[in-house]
Amino acid sequence: MYDFSIVTRWIDSLLRHTLNLGDFWSILIECILVGICILTAYALIAIVLIFMERKVCAYFQCRLGPMRVGPWGIFQVFADVLKMLIKEIFAVDKADKMLYYIAPFLVIIASVGTFSFLPWNKGAVVLDFNVGVFLLTAISSIGILGVFLAGWGSNNKYSVVSAMRGAVQMISYEMSLCLCLISAVVLTGTMQIGGIVEAQHGAWLIFQTPVTWLAFLVFLVAGNAEANRGPFDLAEAESELTAGYHTEYSGMGFGFYYLAEYLNLFVISGIAATVFLGGWMPLHVAGLDGFNAVMDFIPGIIWFFVKTFAIVWILMWIRWTFPRLRIDQILKLEWKYLMPLMLVILTLTTVWVALV
Amino acid sequence: MENNKSYFGEIGAALKTLGTGLKVTMKEYFTPKTTEQYPENRKTTLHVAKRHRGRLVFLRDEDENYKCTACTMCEKACPNDTIKIVAHLEENPETGRKKKQLDDYQYDLGDCMFCQLCVNACNFGAIEFVNDFENSVFDRDKLVYHLDKEVYKGGSLPNLIEGGAPLTIGKFNTKTK
Amino acid sequence: MKLNNIELQFDDFATEMTKLKNEKHFDYLVTIIGEDFGEEGLGCIYILENTESHERCSVRTIAKQIGEEYVIPTTINLWNAANLLEREVFDFLGIKFLGHPDMRRLFMRNDFKGYPLRKDFDASPEANMFPTTDEPESDFTTEWNLDKQGNLVATQHRMFDEDDFIVNLGPNHPSMHGVLRLQTVLNGETVKHIYPHLGYIHRGMEKMCESMTYPQTLAFTDRLNYLCAMMHRHALVGVIEEGMGIELSDRIQYIRTIMDELQRIDNHLLFLGTCAQDLSALTAFLYCMRDREHVLNVMEETTGGRLIQNYYRIGGLQDDIDPNFVQNVKTLCKYLRPMVQEYLDVFGDNVITHQRLEGVGPMNLEDCINYAVTGPAGRAAGWHNDVRKNHPYAMYGKVDFEEVTMTGADSMARYMVHIKELYQSLNIIEQLIDNIPEGEFYIKQKPIIKVPEGQWFFSVEGGAGEFGVYLDSRGDKSPYRLKMRPMGLTLTGAFDKMLKGQKLADLVATGAAIDFVIPDIDR
Repeated sequence: MYDFSIVTRWIDSLLRHTLNLGDFWSILIECILVGICILTAYALIAIVLIFMERKVCAYFQCRLGPMRVGPWGIFQVFADVLKMLIKEIFAVDKADKMLYYIAPFLVIIASVGTFSFLPWNKGAVVLDFNVGVFLLTAISSIGILGVFLAGWGSNNKYSVVSAMRGAVQMISYEMSLCLCLISAVVLTGTMQIGGIVEAQHGAWLIFQTPVTWLAFLVFLVAGNAEANRGPFDLAEAESELTAGYHTEYSGMGFGFYYLAEYLNLFVISGIAATVFLGGWMPLHVAGLDGFNAVMDFIPGIIWFFVKTFAIVWILMWIRWTFPRLRIDQILKLEWKYLMPLMLVILTLTTVWVALV
Repeated sequence: MENNKSYFGEIGAALKTLGTGLKVTMKEYFTPKTTEQYPENRKTTLHVAKRHRGRLVFLRDEDENYKCTACTMCEKACPNDTIKIVAHLEENPETGRKKKQLDDYQYDLGDCMFCQLCVNACNFGAIEFVNDFENSVFDRDKLVYHLDKEVYKGGSLPNLIEGGAPLTIGKFNTKTK
Repeated sequence: MKLNNIELQFDDFATEMTKLKNEKHFDYLVTIIGEDFGEEGLGCIYILENTESHERCSVRTIAKQIGEEYVIPTTINLWNAANLLEREVFDFLGIKFLGHPDMRRLFMRNDFKGYPLRKDFDASPEANMFPTTDEPESDFTTEWNLDKQGNLVATQHRMFDEDDFIVNLGPNHPSMHGVLRLQTVLNGETVKHIYPHLGYIHRGMEKMCESMTYPQTLAFTDRLNYLCAMMHRHALVGVIEEGMGIELSDRIQYIRTIMDELQRIDNHLLFLGTCAQDLSALTAFLYCMRDREHVLNVMEETTGGRLIQNYYRIGGLQDDIDPNFVQNVKTLCKYLRPMVQEYLDVFGDNVITHQRLEGVGPMNLEDCINYAVTGPAGRAAGWHNDVRKNHPYAMYGKVDFEEVTMTGADSMARYMVHIKELYQSLNIIEQLIDNIPEGEFYIKQKPIIKVPEGQWFFSVEGGAGEFGVYLDSRGDKSPYRLKMRPMGLTLTGAFDKMLKGQKLADLVATGAAIDFVIPDIDR
């Protein structure tokens, strides 16, 4: 198994020993390097996701999707990005200007923040705290603030309704999302992302107990709601509230929401893949050593991407099949079905850990 | 208060309907697509109904003579003054009878609402609609045609007047060749 | 139907109308036609139907003149449908309805000068310059009444409370199907009141028709509800042919019936699609659009149009059917039947759809009749209002089909009525397509068409309700007054009743399940 920490160690020693820089400078340079890498990956993955969504959605709908810009339409997203970058950014009259301008940044900060927790490969986990899962949920909830402030600050009635819906929905679904993560923490015994992956060396988490796959499904549903995607895209609700909280944003202000929407999808899928499907951990079956050795030849980063994109695809499949729910139904689903179910699963998992 | 049956009883049925929906979309994911690729297929697989009303033309015989007698029935029938006819009276030197002679038959495609009243009003079968649909231009003035001065010879695309590629109901042609 | 009007005088108008409704059971107000009768003055013709025997009658009354004003007592307390219909008459003719609580203009701007359907209307551009300012809007409505001395008195009503949260849904809104504007008073997400504002695509068709020859008027009907172009034109052609007494050949009747039903399939497919789209199921929308494409292809081969069909003309059809028409239609029917199940699988039977539509926008049978909610929406409440059954025209009296009615009276029932009607339309087409008789497709008419004096009203079953055309001819080559009964106007009027106390999202769902097209409402 290839370990990415060889590369990071080499850079670290290059800075500290060969160039003889002190702690401050070497850490600063490393942070900048990592930051650039993350932002680049963020932008690239967004482009891939947007293109993927357009094509996948088209194929579900018996269409071809973008076909004109470049062969098979592959440059369509670049054209869109260019358009969005050169569009004028302007604010609505009587909008609360400060909230209006801060809001997209809050959303993007939450999105990049959670993005940094993803374990790409062995030894390539950017933020690997011992309270990782805890911090992850904390950072992701900043995004709600962004949605709420945008809706409130836009001076638009649709946006206000949307902001209320968004806040209610996201706060509710955070509950079962966290319960899912806690049940994983109970099983693996650690809150550290790297540790959770390592704990799945023998078998992925969803194979470890008879109830974890249920937690995985709940996580997908709750994650979909948390990422504000159909059938839970109430806050956006383009047929009811035009575009909801980002109705009044143009240019990159809107671009940030657009980016964050797709990256949140990726982050949710990535976390699901990490926590329940072993992240970069190859498929190991106890007893079949030859098989396990072959699986180990495939690099971890490929495992991670394959798992994540498979989940992204499933979420797109769900999105492009179902109609949207109503606000009371969405809350009913969470508080009457998903949350009680998760509490039961959590209890069962605890019992399992205690007895097995 | 909801009883237990309504709380739990419908979960199974509900999940089943969701599953059915997913199954349908999954099936359609792999079926042939429906988008026709218009500019690419315009000379190959494009079908345009023969009776589609694209623009008005003069019917002409082999010697490129038109039948219009400048009777202005079409001009009167038109609900929004799309057709303007200019004519003068000319005396036939042999018979001495006066006959109207067409000077200009102006047809403004930009104003036309394709109601076919002019064709219905014409007693001489001098005008007809053809399915030549690629009429866009960058200047409105270019949409004003003088039908007596142009000799219309088929559309911008081969076989267009005959309808182009054959049409099969229930099938789409996404190919460009 | 040739109109034999019951003439009523101003003084006994209210009591006689009450008698007609309560004793003779004329409980469905089809339409109110305001007309400038020339020397007799301004007046109205009310067309009423008895919903048990399906008998129709028409009532004519001349407005009473008080100074410069014309007044007629309101009938809103008898038929709620009169709400918007009377406002329309007020807008076009300036007749004030005494006791109507909301005498605002309906289609024209509030600052529009004059009443366009009066014969002395000044149509010069200077009288009404192109407006460059916003439309002035009042928060008050006016009610007119006569006091004891017989003078007109105005009473003002407030439309909104101090702390009402008002959201304008439309004129530009993704699920308003065009340019409908619903001024919605919200309490949180709960709807308190809805004021429809119409006229954003008002083109004055009825006024234009008065200065056009009969063949020229035909061009307008396709541009009303462009999804029911065939049915609309069928109504107009029908009323003119009835007036002229033209006997049509069987071939024409067969083809017209088939075309009407193809158009109904087209309309219903689009309805099923947009209903899904309004609930954000874009995939179901595209499946419907995909199959609608085939319907349009079949029609286009014969008619030459996809939206604007231009197929019927006075005395027959524009052209004979395409040589492949019969084969194409058969292929289409075979293709379409299994597809309807697919819409149900992906959307109609889905638990989320049921949750979103069941119990949403309810309207019971009695209210449906009172608000004149015709078409699938009325049949969803169990009202047998299918014009094809009640007043058969073309071949409908001879084909075997079922009038779909349900009892749900909510949006889900409306959706299911559309699904079932698709199957019925396919049945009708399959019965007729093999038996189209030989004969003329067009019966030659004189170059200048004149209709003898008289008044006629002809109804067809459109995609979203009853579509009727009233024709008053004075023997000229153009109509003296032509009035169309739009399908959507009364549906819009029922919105307030349906949605009081429901959620904002339910407004969209109800709008999705009620099939309205704005150019049809605005005309």
